[in-house]
Amino acid sequence: MRVLLVEDEMLLRAQVDKYLRDAGFVVDMASNGEKGLYFGLEFDYDVAVIDLGLPKMDGIDLIAELRKQDRVFPILILTARRDWQDKVTGLEAGADDYLTKPFHLEELKARLDALIRRAAGYASPVVEKGPLSLDLGAKEARLHGDTLELTAFEYRVLEYLAMNPGRVISKAELTEHLYEQDFDRDSNVIEVFIGRLRRKLDPDGTLKPIRTIRGAGYRFSL
Amino acid sequence: MRVSLQGRLMATTAIALCLFLLATGWIWERLFTTSVRASAEEQMLIVAYGLVDATRKDADPAAFRGSYTSEGGEQVPVVGPSILLPDELGEPRLSRPNSGLYAYIETADGTLAWRSPSMTITSVAATPNPRPPPGDSRFRRIESDGIEPRFLLGYTVILEELDDSELTFWVLTDQSPFNAEIREFRRSLVVGVIAATLLLIVLQLGTLLWGLRPLRRMAERVRALHAGQRGDIGEDYPAELAQLAHTMNRFVGHELENRERYRRAMGDLAHSLKTPLAVLKNALVDPGRPDKAVFDDQIDRMEATINRQLSRATAIPPVLPHEPVPVTPLLERLCRALDKAYAGKHVDVEIQAAPVQVRADERDVIDVLGNLLENAYKYSHSKVRISAKREPSSAPRASDRRSTVPNGSEHARTQSDPRQVVRIVVEDDGDGIPEAAKQYVFERGARADTAHSGHGIGLASAVELATAYGGTVELADSALGGAKVILKMPA
Repeated sequence: MRVLLVEDEMLLRAQVDKYLRDAGFVVDMASNGEKGLYFGLEFDYDVAVIDLGLPKMDGIDLIAELRKQDRVFPILILTARRDWQDKVTGLEAGADDYLTKPFHLEELKARLDALIRRAAGYASPVVEKGPLSLDLGAKEARLHGDTLELTAFEYRVLEYLAMNPGRVISKAELTEHLYEQDFDRDSNVIEVFIGRLRRKLDPDGTLKPIRTIRGAGYRFSL
Repeated sequence: MRVSLQGRLMATTAIALCLFLLATGWIWERLFTTSVRASAEEQMLIVAYGLVDATRKDADPAAFRGSYTSEGGEQVPVVGPSILLPDELGEPRLSRPNSGLYAYIETADGTLAWRSPSMTITSVAATPNPRPPPGDSRFRRIESDGIEPRFLLGYTVILEELDDSELTFWVLTDQSPFNAEIREFRRSLVVGVIAATLLLIVLQLGTLLWGLRPLRRMAERVRALHAGQRGDIGEDYPAELAQLAHTMNRFVGHELENRERYRRAMGDLAHSLKTPLAVLKNALVDPGRPDKAVFDDQIDRMEATINRQLSRATAIPPVLPHEPVPVTPLLERLCRALDKAYAGKHVDVEIQAAPVQVRADERDVIDVLGNLLENAYKYSHSKVRISAKREPSSAPRASDRRSTVPNGSEHARTQSDPRQVVRIVVEDDGDGIPEAAKQYVFERGARADTAHSGHGIGLASAVELATAYGGTVELADSALGGAKVILKMPA
């Protein structure tokens, strides 16, 4: 999952960045509102974390501008004050949730997971898809109740596909959401991962959860 | 330096007074002079009437009618129509030589027909005067160099008795008695006006000194206030200044209270941060791996402390009454925002709000309600109920142990309608507020329990803010099964 982090405090930004990367997110960082807007308009994100007190462009204005330009990814606002005026204004401008500083990183991650899940239309943190169940909190996949042995990257591919069910997802989109920006984007790697996932999810070839649409990408359907 | 109020008032009233009295004096003088002249004219007309009345036809037209000496010294014979006047005239001064009252009679062709015995030397002939038409009189002053100023009155009649001959009766009077009268009046007038001016200025000064005394008193007390010798400027002022003094006292009191509040909050903050800081320091000294639980616990404790003390320091009671803030739109706005943030939870919210208004800063109202509603959303299972209505105040209850800042609440209560409060109740169907959180909220110095600090911190903030406005927060059990928070704010 690709997350946009707009925060001017360098130390906090670095902490959040490291924590989210360790948790399997792809993180783009911006230190001010203008950069945040550039990233937000340029790339497709699964979720954004925006601090309200930002230099150059205020967090509220940034959110309003992103929404105005039809960016629909969920947004979590960070506010340093226990100031309800800010929270309410932020939510009214288009944010979806708020977190008051200081916060625990676990709490931030839980909120981001919930936002992504909500955006995909799932109410519970455990997503059931036929015999397959994904525990978004624990980052675990189970088939017929048995835990699947997936690498972190395989899990991420599966989660992204499951969060966009029925939609055709190109290799480029997968790369963008699962890889760092300056990573090598060799599409063969994606094919390799999809192949491995198929074998782990559907060892006897009866389920066919990931279909290849020639020239377009992959579609998850269970 | 600017001219003092007293100086300004004195200067303007003195100038106005002088102008007024000068104008009055001038008008009086004019009126008096005019009336003196009118009375002279009237007297002379009466003399002329008397002469007309006394004039008879002379039986002997050739009789010698005497002569008079002109100012040139020559003897002028009196020749004229045959008229006769008795030796004894009604006005004795006409018979006494040089008495100051003179009369003579001219015919239509200017011939002198008669002159009074008083008129021994006269320049009448040398100063021909335009005769008034028959039946009319004419009055004028004669004032030229070398001649004593006189009044002259001419009165022309046609007498049937004298064969319809036209005669002009001239009466002359010295002006000096009249002028003396006018001079005497002017002297009295000047003395009177000066005396009146002085008296009025003294009175005015007295009025000003007396009238401005409260202002001077206020200024002295403000000086004493600056010097730190007083804590207020008192309330004993006349109606025009009472409100100003009252407001000023309130500002001063507010300032002192704020200073005290900050001092106390900073003191508390420093004191209550020392312990967790010491624990953290010691935890680092420990040769083993730092215990994450210790850090978490102490950091949470510090966060709770900072939140609480900041709320306390910034919950500033209002000095002036606030514009009323409508509650329902704020509740709806907050609920819309929280619905979004808690979209995954599907909280069923029911608002039963009368159109009530709270007297407080809108941001503070949002903060109080936001904290209470957030707790309700967070800790409810699925249902939140909010109600707001106006009700009579039960004043004594407001100062129970929950009022952590009694001075502030006293202060704020005096500014709004003390008989009415807005009662806002927030209920949920959660598990209720843990005892530790209640203690943290209402007992000063109680430490935040990590597990419940979330519940307590928001509630504590709400309590601090509400108390600053003279409001109260009470906790109870809801019929829904969870917590019931009753907030009362001044209406």
